[in-house]
Amino acid sequence: MKKFIPQILMFFNLFFFSCGEGISPAPEIIEPGFSGTIRFIGQWPSDITQTNIVLFKNPLLSAADFNVFNIKFISNTIPYGASIYNFDSRENFLLADVQPGEYAYLAVGQSKTPQLSLSRSDWFVAGVYYQNGDTTKPGTLTIPIDALIEGIEIIVDFNNPPPQPPGG
Amino acid sequence: MKKIIVIYFTLIFSLQAQTSNITGKVTSEVGTPLIGANVILQGTLIGTATDSRGNFSFTGLTKAGYIVEVTMVGYKKFVSNPLNLDDDKIDLSITLEPQSFQIDQVVVTAGKHNQDISELPVSAYVINANEFSEKSFVKLDDALRYAPGVNVTFDQVSIRGSSGYSRGAGTRVLVAIDGIPLYTGDTGEIIWEVVPVTEIQRVEIIKGAASSLYGSTALGGVINVITKDIASNPLTYIRTYVGAYDKPSHTEWDWSGERRIYNGLTLSHSNKIGKLGFSLSFSRIEDQSYRQGGWSKRYAGYVRAKYTFNESTNLSFLANGYTQDRGTFNFWKDSRNALVPPDNDQGQRTPSDRLLYALVFENVVNSNFNYKVNTSLYRTYWKDDSESNNSSGTNLYRSEIQTEYKISENLLTVNGIEGSYGIVKSNIFSNPDAKNIGVYTHWEYDFNFPLTLTFGSRFDYGKLDTLKSFSAVSPKFGINYNLSKYTILRSSVGMGFRAPTLAEAFTSTRASGIPVKPNPNIDRETSYSFEIGVNQNISDFWNLDLALFHNEYFDFIEPRIDTTQISDPYVIFDNVPKAKIQGAELNSLFNFDRLNVTLNLSYMYLWARDIENNRSLKYRPRHLFYGKLSYSPGIFEFGLDFRYWSKVEEIDFELIEFNLLPDGHKRVDVYVVDLRGGVNLFTLGVPVNIYLNANNLFNYNYVEMIGNISPIRNISLNLELIF
Repeated sequence: MKKFIPQILMFFNLFFFSCGEGISPAPEIIEPGFSGTIRFIGQWPSDITQTNIVLFKNPLLSAADFNVFNIKFISNTIPYGASIYNFDSRENFLLADVQPGEYAYLAVGQSKTPQLSLSRSDWFVAGVYYQNGDTTKPGTLTIPIDALIEGIEIIVDFNNPPPQPPGG
Repeated sequence: MKKIIVIYFTLIFSLQAQTSNITGKVTSEVGTPLIGANVILQGTLIGTATDSRGNFSFTGLTKAGYIVEVTMVGYKKFVSNPLNLDDDKIDLSITLEPQSFQIDQVVVTAGKHNQDISELPVSAYVINANEFSEKSFVKLDDALRYAPGVNVTFDQVSIRGSSGYSRGAGTRVLVAIDGIPLYTGDTGEIIWEVVPVTEIQRVEIIKGAASSLYGSTALGGVINVITKDIASNPLTYIRTYVGAYDKPSHTEWDWSGERRIYNGLTLSHSNKIGKLGFSLSFSRIEDQSYRQGGWSKRYAGYVRAKYTFNESTNLSFLANGYTQDRGTFNFWKDSRNALVPPDNDQGQRTPSDRLLYALVFENVVNSNFNYKVNTSLYRTYWKDDSESNNSSGTNLYRSEIQTEYKISENLLTVNGIEGSYGIVKSNIFSNPDAKNIGVYTHWEYDFNFPLTLTFGSRFDYGKLDTLKSFSAVSPKFGINYNLSKYTILRSSVGMGFRAPTLAEAFTSTRASGIPVKPNPNIDRETSYSFEIGVNQNISDFWNLDLALFHNEYFDFIEPRIDTTQISDPYVIFDNVPKAKIQGAELNSLFNFDRLNVTLNLSYMYLWARDIENNRSLKYRPRHLFYGKLSYSPGIFEFGLDFRYWSKVEEIDFELIEFNLLPDGHKRVDVYVVDLRGGVNLFTLGVPVNIYLNANNLFNYNYVEMIGNISPIRNISLNLELIF
């Protein structure tokens, strides 16, 4: 009997492999994007038909930079008269091509055209995203791989509009 | 007509005037009554099973010398001296000695007649009925997962790698109940729920090609369920169990937020009234399932009646079936939602009804010749709520005449003819029919050295609807040599074949978003197989069995994903020009009687190759290891089971590449541990057994078939009442 004890012990040893968990869920894949809040201060201008969050890849140095290839994100239209609006680039959008990388200009634009227009002259910038409280220049938005940038805040102060990019 | 019946029975009863009785009690060495032991009178068709007190009785015997034979799995066969019935009544007290190893177990499947395993030219294994109670098995395939040389992929059984996973279409293992095949007429699959597990006496597994006796589908082997004989005294059996699945080990998988329950109840009764014996059984089985959509609810019934005309003639009727409603879970949504089906499969149901009727007539003409005629009808119907709204109804008619002739003390032959006709009405396989007829002969010669030579062959002719007809000759030669009291050598070589099923040829549907297309050019597959084995009693408590096997297949039928049209991949069953399955199986059994401990260890190495494409055959693990440790002190029983099989190398990679099965590549080596404990109160005079089981004790997450997690940890309590 004693000579079989090692075999029996080996049999029990095998059980310990079973203590592993086996198949486990794949890591959650987080779609890159950004989310946050728009706060509106003051009286909304009349006749506004379109209010959207817009993200540009490259800086708006001329009217030509306001083009469909440079625009990477347009949110759904923000309801007229809202005082606060929460957004998530992955959920509510008219156009979204948000890849990991740096983005030069994130703003809230308003338009009085009945349909969404991509002509620079139809738009007025109501609020701009600033980084670290530096309101001297538009903030750069950096989106890492597999991550959602949360807590972005843009203030739209109808009484104190931001500097307008060229071509307006 | 009534007058004829009255005259007939008057004659029958008048012939019973000069009769005697044999009664007896069968117990174990420690005096425990053995329930369900098979008691027969040799050379006749008279047989019964012991009741809850181990008692049996034969009444109305004519005055002659009888030999009583008692068999029970796990015990040595008892054979009495010839009994002289000069007295009107003989009362026997029979004690069965435990059997250390299976080698002396009687089986009927290998040669279609009674043989000891030690006499066979092929490998065999027997599952004892007790295992179904002790481990709370609800379906036959649950038990097969622990059988050496066998593995089960989801619901597809494979003996020595014969089958992979073919989505329920076709099988290379013939499963039968008392010799009556159980494959369905449309898909040719085995519906495990049809087998009434509480009526099982033993399950015989014959490994390797058996087409020489059983024809198509027995290419990889035969699993024959032998049901309990009808008790001569009233015997009532009640089994109930309740179990719960633990919560999944990953919170992402906890779709229900609760522990899912399964439970069941079986009521069974058997008795003999005059010459009519009967067994009735009813079961209700419900499983909420650990998978969303994996639930099932089933009602099953079983009726068996046996009328014994005289000692040489009887007629049996079997009706067995169920009605079931279940959800649909083919694949997971993805590995983060591993217990949830894809959105399209949510809420789908598949109701089904299956019913098997059979009539068996047996006659012993004289001590050297007997024959058996059986005929059966297997009706199946199912439908699902899938996007294709599949449904199928099938009638499969089958008949067989089998004779057994002992030409001399050394020479025996079994011959037979078998025919089947299946007709299908469905929207998934169209409405095809299939016909097959087979003629077989089987010869055994026992030399006195002792050497047994076996030769058999079967000719089959068949036609599947519009497909071209086929014919096949399946010869087999076997040899068994008892080299010494301790060493038995065996070897066999044979050819086999399998006709495609109607499903493999004609399926046209979508399953979980995946199209399946028919293949009107599919051909039958053929094989030749070779096995050599040795059984060695190393000592009184250690038995070792080694088998080497080599099987070659031609036009092997396997499902594949056709990606010729990249935008529209689909599943099709096709012939793989050549496949080869080789391997070795080593089984070791330690039986320490004095310590009440047994340890079974079995290992199989499998080399299954698609020769044409030089890669593994799908869903065949290369290494399989099973271990079983049992300890039975007094009235208690404890057991530990361990199963390992290596990660399968080849799967349906196309399903993953074409994003039809997200995360489908996830598969692992499989390590599963089960723990059980029980108490048998029969010894104390209480007709109750209680078992507690913890299955998948360590909650190891694994798949048998990709994208479908096997049962997570679950604990059940099983109660048996026999009186």
